[in-house]
Amino acid sequence: MEEAKKLTIEELIEEEGKYVGPTVGVSMLPMLKSGRDSVVIVKKEARLKPWDVALYKRGEKYVLHRVISVIDGGYIIRGDNCYSDEKIPESAVFGVLSEYFRENERIDCAANEKYLRYAKKRVKNYRLRRFFVVPYLRCRSLAARAYHKIFKRKNSETK
Amino acid sequence: MKIKEGFIIRQVGGENIVVPIGKTGKDFHGMIKLNDSGAFLWRFFTQDHTEEEAVAALLNEYEVDEATAKADVAAFVKTLNDPRFVD
Repeated sequence: MEEAKKLTIEELIEEEGKYVGPTVGVSMLPMLKSGRDSVVIVKKEARLKPWDVALYKRGEKYVLHRVISVIDGGYIIRGDNCYSDEKIPESAVFGVLSEYFRENERIDCAANEKYLRYAKKRVKNYRLRRFFVVPYLRCRSLAARAYHKIFKRKNSETK
Repeated sequence: MKIKEGFIIRQVGGENIVVPIGKTGKDFHGMIKLNDSGAFLWRFFTQDHTEEEAVAALLNEYEVDEATAKADVAAFVKTLNDPRFVD
């Protein structure tokens, strides 16, 4: 076994050519599930293309989201489970998802047809999905707030 | 010694890489690369075993002399003797 070294993910990708690890969060659902899946990130060697999944840093946090379009000097990027876009400069992106493991199934992002169909569809159907999901999320949030208010009022009245 | 649950060995580009899964992934963000005998020992120690048993298993699996097997097991145990990995 090799000696343990403390490196950042960028350093690890630079030194080893790849990073293999878990993901945290819900922004890439339904593709990547926190605690279940592992990702293999390789060093960005060329400009990414639409549907690639880019690794970049937002402040101190690492973010793994999908490239929606390539623009001058950067990318428009969005998580598969997100409803807003980010403009990310080329220099901030240092890695790209090459494969991932869903439990024990290995999925090659360049060759797995099912995955490629999913990626294309996820981007293509965004507007339609947004049309239905965003109002639903707003209604849910309003309902939760209303419930919280009523519940809180009832609780304070009984005290 | 017994390796904690919450890790899995992934084969990536011919390399054995230990990756945390489940809740372990929230606390451990490292990447552990193992050679073939290291991966063998990792799998062996997912059950509770002594170092002597590991040496015997290594001798049984690989064509190595006892001194090499002992040194390999000792190095493996020394590196992984960390509460993040072992019970």
